[in-house]
Amino acid sequence: MKRRRPFIALFVLLALVVAAVTATAISAKPAKRNANSIEVLSLWGGSEKDAFLKVTAAFTKATGINVQYTAARDFIPDIRTRLAAGNPPDIGILPRPGYIGTLAKQGALKQLSSLGLSNAYMKANYTPGWLALGSSGGKLYGVPAKANSKSVIWYKPQSFKKYHFKIPKTWNQLLAITKAYKAKGLVPWSVGAGPSQSQWTLTDWFENIYARTAGPAKYQRLFTGKLPFTDPSVANAARIMTQIINNKYVLNGVQGVLGQSFVGGIGDVFGTSPKAQLYFEGGFVGGIALQQVNTALKPGKTIADFPWPTIKPSLDHPVVGAADFAAAFKSSPEVTQFLKYISTKAAGTIWVSTGAVNSPNKRVSGSAYPNVLARAEAHQLATAKTFLFDGSDLLPGAFGDTWGFALQDVIQHPGNIKSILSDFQNKIKGQF
Amino acid sequence: MSSQPLPAPAPAAPAPPAKGRRFGLRARPSSLSGFLFVLPALVVLVIFLIYPAYYTTRRTLYEGAFHFGFFHYLGIDNFKELLTNDKDFLDLSKFPPGGALINNLRWLIFYISLSLLIGLGLAVLAVRVRYERFVKTAIFLPMAISAVAVGIIWLLVYSPNPDIGILNSLLRGGGLHTQSWLGNPSLVNYALIFAYIWASVGFVMVVLSAAIKGLPADVLEAARVDGANEWQIFRRIMFPLLSLPISVVTIWLFINVIKVFDIIYVMTGGGPGTSSRVIAFTMYEETFQNGRPGYGAAVAVIMLVLIAPVMILNVRRFRSEKVVA
Amino acid sequence: MVRWLTRTPIHIGLVAIAVIWLVPTVGLAITSFRKPVDISNTGWWHAFTQWDWTLHNYGSVIHATGMGHAWVNSLIITVPATLLPLTLGALAAFGFAWVPFPFRDTLFLIIVALMIVPIQTSLVPLLKLFAEHGHLNNGYWGIWLAHTAFGLPLAVFLLRNFFITLPKDLIEAARMDGASNLSIFRRIVVPLSVPALASFGIFQFLWVWNDLLMALIFVSDPNKQPMTVRIPYLLSTYGQEYNLLAAAAFLLMIVPLIVFFALQRYFVQGLLAGSVKS
Repeated sequence: MKRRRPFIALFVLLALVVAAVTATAISAKPAKRNANSIEVLSLWGGSEKDAFLKVTAAFTKATGINVQYTAARDFIPDIRTRLAAGNPPDIGILPRPGYIGTLAKQGALKQLSSLGLSNAYMKANYTPGWLALGSSGGKLYGVPAKANSKSVIWYKPQSFKKYHFKIPKTWNQLLAITKAYKAKGLVPWSVGAGPSQSQWTLTDWFENIYARTAGPAKYQRLFTGKLPFTDPSVANAARIMTQIINNKYVLNGVQGVLGQSFVGGIGDVFGTSPKAQLYFEGGFVGGIALQQVNTALKPGKTIADFPWPTIKPSLDHPVVGAADFAAAFKSSPEVTQFLKYISTKAAGTIWVSTGAVNSPNKRVSGSAYPNVLARAEAHQLATAKTFLFDGSDLLPGAFGDTWGFALQDVIQHPGNIKSILSDFQNKIKGQF
Repeated sequence: MSSQPLPAPAPAAPAPPAKGRRFGLRARPSSLSGFLFVLPALVVLVIFLIYPAYYTTRRTLYEGAFHFGFFHYLGIDNFKELLTNDKDFLDLSKFPPGGALINNLRWLIFYISLSLLIGLGLAVLAVRVRYERFVKTAIFLPMAISAVAVGIIWLLVYSPNPDIGILNSLLRGGGLHTQSWLGNPSLVNYALIFAYIWASVGFVMVVLSAAIKGLPADVLEAARVDGANEWQIFRRIMFPLLSLPISVVTIWLFINVIKVFDIIYVMTGGGPGTSSRVIAFTMYEETFQNGRPGYGAAVAVIMLVLIAPVMILNVRRFRSEKVVA
Repeated sequence: MVRWLTRTPIHIGLVAIAVIWLVPTVGLAITSFRKPVDISNTGWWHAFTQWDWTLHNYGSVIHATGMGHAWVNSLIITVPATLLPLTLGALAAFGFAWVPFPFRDTLFLIIVALMIVPIQTSLVPLLKLFAEHGHLNNGYWGIWLAHTAFGLPLAVFLLRNFFITLPKDLIEAARMDGASNLSIFRRIVVPLSVPALASFGIFQFLWVWNDLLMALIFVSDPNKQPMTVRIPYLLSTYGQEYNLLAAAAFLLMIVPLIVFFALQRYFVQGLLAGSVKS
């Protein structure tokens, strides 16, 4: 009993679908990898990716080399899998100097000097601080590509005006504004530290607080393995963090924090149907908010930022910042050209003009920044008396993520801070 | 979502002729020919299935982080650490206990029992209605789609925003608090389990439905004539007769529990933190995120050990079928 | 009359459950046709009253995010990964069913045991193997071979159990006429086994199409990754944009759904053959 009809129906339908989709797919084939193209891997999506693509477009125009950008979902497993498969990308733009060290020790990265970027060339474009971060074992592997300040808090100027709030300069003033919002029946904060690996936002809260309570020297020692996480200063900073991140002051409470992503949190405050008033994350929030979340925002009027308040007056305003470094997995003339291009003033200027990033390149001038928000961030970075690199990004291997998970634990169980920290210390001991 | 079907109680093999009198005067198919038919498959299996399993087992005895080679002999330290010193895997220090292994236990209990209950209930009830095929199709549909699609579908259902997620919208409409289904560590595992139940019940229902249709109608009719009500008929007659298909379905569900990965990867990535991890996910994390292939291999071996009883069961059942035939 | 009264709750319950079961999928389908602004402001269930839909999401997803390309990749991966185990499995199954040779039964038992070995036990060594011998991870051969290996035990098992039910006389007669095993296979066994071959073929097709983990590990070239791998990537870069996610998920689902509806009988048989005595 042969049933032909279902087969025919299936084939006709499938054929139609295949034809339709293949036709559209062919009309949009991504660049083929051939001798004249390179693949760059990073984890930007949305507006950050668009900003980077402007830079690569200029590169392609100038050199004729195609750049294929690949967004990674979890960049550490992606890179590890591809290395194990013998198929790494040409260049990876890594957000974590700590991971550069791990890869360099594995022998997976090419030294910049072997690619034609001499130490002298690099010194002419970047300050020693940046160069040190991109090195491992005294050798340079990473070109600082973009930077951002992580010591700014985002707010709505029109809301501050309405309630006569002044920009808070101290933590207590910030707490007062928080409580004042709450008293008016508004949700003061939104925090996104859950899906899409957003737990890194909690690490930034912690780092700013820690720098302002324990000081730069201890900060450096903590994140380079010379101070254990069981030191009382760590628990102290974690506790201060829970003064704001708790069920009272954050949208949907701690569960909401764990259920919201970093970009979603921006939307909660600056989106078209906002639900909260204040948001903390780095300078890049401006670019994402303006270009991705809500294009009707007006910098300075409906979205602006102020620097992180001080906690201990004697420790003043250390600026915590982060940067991404471009490192090469393969060596070829195209790779060298790309890395060289990234380190030029021209590339830096294009990139910062998108408003998404700051450039660590000495030669990019302040006038290249497009709006008041970006200029303020550049100014903050340039004039920082104390600059500290994002601590969790300094941790080796994947411990930046593990630290984020530990902080997620902290906000859920503030009574267990000590045991959470000692568990984490056990894991990371000896890993540096 | 689709998963491996279960091995069948096989139909009887043709009775092998008595030794020494194979095929008598007829042309004798050569053993070599037999081998040749089987050889390509065997070669593929040995190279790509059997040898890797051996390699992985051996790998658990070493640490070697880079390039996935064999470095630094550790003996069974990896297992020791997994079972005693890794709070993300097994945490017996608090109540209720936590860790990936315990999560699989949760899956074992809730996923299997609810899938069986719902599937059996639906099968029994649907048999009596004319639109049975519609019900079956509706329930079975999710079996055809990928766990990735199931994940996206349920991310939409569970969205914390009541203007997007239907569950929270219903809660809000009912005057209750909206929940963060995937952000609340006490809820997330059950949310995931239920999404997977949604995708699995179809299999249970179809199998049991076919089995119910195969029950002897005269026995059931006789019981009805004797005045037994439907519930009694179900408990005393149907259920015992269905014990074989039910056990077969249970085994299928059990295998799913051990192997579940895709839906966790898509919906929560093991989060919040590590609260929705399962052992298959731990293997992936430890090998590819944390760069510890020996440790990850130990998890894989544990998975194999947990599934081994089913393997043995399958083989035994197959053999006993042959003997019976 | 009484029966009708007591049965109404059953009817209501059954229909309600069936409808509830369809709701999540329907929700996704509707979302894929809505504008992003609508999605974030009103639930998809409002779409029944405010009918304002668009195909734009599908266009975006196919072009801008490369899903169209990924769809083609899914096809490229799935077809050989179905045909290979089908062919090798059918050959082996025939050997196990109709051609006696020493250790035949033991070997078959081993294959039965292999059916449920988890992929995790082979991930790392296969990755290494493919990388070191011919860069099989750069192309599709890595994943084709991996899927073939993991699909073979089931193929051999299912097909062998079917082949055994073929009429013995037919095969014996062919042998008496001097036919070789291969021609018996080609001329008698295969044509008579189309339902079983179709069952396994469809089952394996859906299994590979829907697979995530193997593709995640063995297809390292982003240009070759199938939809199941690319969709979670969408999640991290466009996490809140359900319009894109829904459209992408639906593109992923459309093929299995078509197969399911058109060939439901074979698909179900494939599963059932695994579980209930016929």
